[in-house]
Amino acid sequence: MDRRTFFRKGLGASVIVGAAFAGKYQNLFAAPYEESDLPFDLVAVKGGEPDVMLKKGMEAFGGIGKFVKKGQKVVIKPNIGWDVTPERGGNTNPKLVAEIVRYCRTAGASEVYVFDHTCDNWQRCYKNSGIESAVKDSGGKIVPGHTEGYYHEISIPHGKSITSAKEHELLLSSDVFINVPVLKHHGGARLTITMKNMMGNVWDRGIWHRNDLHQCIADYATYRKPTLNIVDAYYVMKQNGPRGVSVEDVVTMKSLLISTDMVAIDTASAKLFGMDPADVRYIQIAADQKVGRMDLENLRIKRLNV
Amino acid sequence: MQWLKRIRIAVAIVFFLALTLLFLDFGNVIPIGIHGFFISTQLVPSFIRTLIVLSSASFGLFFVLVITVLFGRVYCSALCPLGILQDIVIRIAKRLNKRRRFKYKEQHYILHYSVFVLTGVFAFSGSVILLNLFEPFSNYGRILSNLVSPFVVVANNMLGYILGLFGFIFLFPIPILHINTGSVLASLGILALVTYLSYNHGRLFCNLLCPAGAFLGLLSRFSFFKIVIDKNNCKECGLCERVCKANCIKSSSMEIDFAACIGCFNCLAACPTVGMSYKGRWTKLSDTSKEADGGRRNVLKISVLPALGLLMPVIRIESTVGRIQNGFSENRQHPISPPGSLGVKRFSTLCTACHLCISSCPTQVLLPSFLEYGIAGVFQPKMNYDASYCNFDCALCSQVCPTGAILPLDVPSKKEVQIGKVQFVKDDCIVVTKKKDCGACSEHCPTKAVTMVPYEKKLMIPEINNEICVGCGACEHACPVRPSKAIYVSANQIHQKAKKPQSKKTEPSFDSSQEFPF
Repeated sequence: MDRRTFFRKGLGASVIVGAAFAGKYQNLFAAPYEESDLPFDLVAVKGGEPDVMLKKGMEAFGGIGKFVKKGQKVVIKPNIGWDVTPERGGNTNPKLVAEIVRYCRTAGASEVYVFDHTCDNWQRCYKNSGIESAVKDSGGKIVPGHTEGYYHEISIPHGKSITSAKEHELLLSSDVFINVPVLKHHGGARLTITMKNMMGNVWDRGIWHRNDLHQCIADYATYRKPTLNIVDAYYVMKQNGPRGVSVEDVVTMKSLLISTDMVAIDTASAKLFGMDPADVRYIQIAADQKVGRMDLENLRIKRLNV
Repeated sequence: MQWLKRIRIAVAIVFFLALTLLFLDFGNVIPIGIHGFFISTQLVPSFIRTLIVLSSASFGLFFVLVITVLFGRVYCSALCPLGILQDIVIRIAKRLNKRRRFKYKEQHYILHYSVFVLTGVFAFSGSVILLNLFEPFSNYGRILSNLVSPFVVVANNMLGYILGLFGFIFLFPIPILHINTGSVLASLGILALVTYLSYNHGRLFCNLLCPAGAFLGLLSRFSFFKIVIDKNNCKECGLCERVCKANCIKSSSMEIDFAACIGCFNCLAACPTVGMSYKGRWTKLSDTSKEADGGRRNVLKISVLPALGLLMPVIRIESTVGRIQNGFSENRQHPISPPGSLGVKRFSTLCTACHLCISSCPTQVLLPSFLEYGIAGVFQPKMNYDASYCNFDCALCSQVCPTGAILPLDVPSKKEVQIGKVQFVKDDCIVVTKKKDCGACSEHCPTKAVTMVPYEKKLMIPEINNEICVGCGACEHACPVRPSKAIYVSANQIHQKAKKPQSKKTEPSFDSSQEFPF
């Protein structure tokens, strides 16, 4: 769906938001759930290194070209929240991020940006996560998100707890948004996967924590729909998340999930983690708000082994 | 003789630039070793450090003492950043008024040594307030970190923004979180004083207030090399007196008050003949000028001054440690001193508030205090969890501290230092007041001294464990409750050892040989 058909379909309030940025920003505003022209709703791969699993998974979807067109500007949002090394499982696997950057370059993306609004000091997070050097080596640009100046006001028309947020300018100016969380335990939100990872898209997270965290996570997901979600479940932090205390918190699951549906991929990831998706309240709320589907049994899932 | 002056200027430029860059290096690019080298040459910090522990700084101190005994107060002109700053002001003054000339003046020895002795007595009895006010290195540091650094950051941010418009992304905006108005005003005051004095009176600060100048002046009376006027060759032109920033050359009587001489060698460069020389002691003194010795008599007079130290209790008011308002619990101990300082009181008696730790701190959690450590500890840094929190894997402040007020720690041992204890105000917590999940505190906690445990209706609530809390303030910083936070850190007056967090090895719920559970 290109931008013109997007507008022609007249998708209610999101168009109004879109119009506010028309001309300046290309857009990716969340549309209500719709039938996809992709062969699968969810692809799950296990048993290999991140790059090998990504290759198999993307092949199942028909290649990165389905999502990234020549000349497009891509923004990748991994989890780089913490000043910890890759084996601690606190951040997205740098090898995976590097490989996604390479795919986007191969597909002809004009620019590939990577950023996160980190929790710990951003420079230490970028460096010690290994993501900064991985991105640079694979031809992407890593951009900070540590000051309010990078963030611009957007409105969330379907939001219940929050109706606005300040979102990173890269998201507002890019054509493609690839959300690459790492699957982790989370003390407050229970689990952090795709929807929780998008909390790093915005500036003020305190407001979310003050006003029903689960509802806010789902509210934002009604507004921002990633072009593609890739869940890194290679090293999985099973306890003491989201920062973790030591490698003892981490198990090796060697898995990778890919989907355009955040609710479906979060539901599947929760099961992989060993938790009932219904216990993660924001997944249920998001499903109720038609962000995506929790009924995995009715979805077209491809399961692959490396 | 031009070459001595030229060497002095060359060395001064190197030290001035290096010491300046150390305070403006907000990206922490300069290696710790280089930090250590330049900082160790600073007299007062290295002196304090040597009193605490023998370290590489002691070599720096030894070096300064040796060069002073050999060559006089060359430290003041070549190594002291505040002295070099004054030379820059003097040079500008000279540019603005070409006819400006210096004249011999009686030195204010009584006042200078009074200040010196009082400073020493105060410092040894635990109040560094006078040292903080007059010590040149710390003053220079404060001028840079309070007055100059913010402008450099703004320039960086603007340049980064402009470059960003053209697609060059390598200068990143830096927030300014560590400004304390009192500290800025005080630094402005010192800068104004030093500028005024040097603009109008040359190196008067160094011979009136500076404790390092007083001490090195005493030492330089015994220097091996001294500048002397050779009566046989002197043409009595007075050029040397005109260029003497320390006002210590009396050309009419061909006398030099060498204790006040700051070793700039301008006189030697100005002398048109061979009327002046820089001679070792074996030179026959009969032919040369005798020292103006008014100073030595004054030194004797001031021996009663230590009695003034009795004034101490008046100034060393017990710090405001104890209670703090701001809506926090009454039990909150404040301020919190940085890890490595061993305790609030020890820190407060050893820190000369140079603010090098503040400008080095990557998370900007260190903030100049005002009266939190008491009047005696004015401008010493404290942890400020409103703006930021202490990075668990960083011990930079301890590695750059010049005086040893913060003793060096490696990262593993820093992780076991508990500078404060976490306190949880359950009644204010979001989970209790709004019956909603939050967990921001536990999320940020690096040791899981704050964990989430089951509460009513599937909710999770924080639970604290002070055995493993390091007091980093991550929980307090992240807590979304306003105006007063529901979780905060209360200072340990004496720092304690935190236990290492133990996590149980987890069992995988899934491994890649199984089928997907969906």
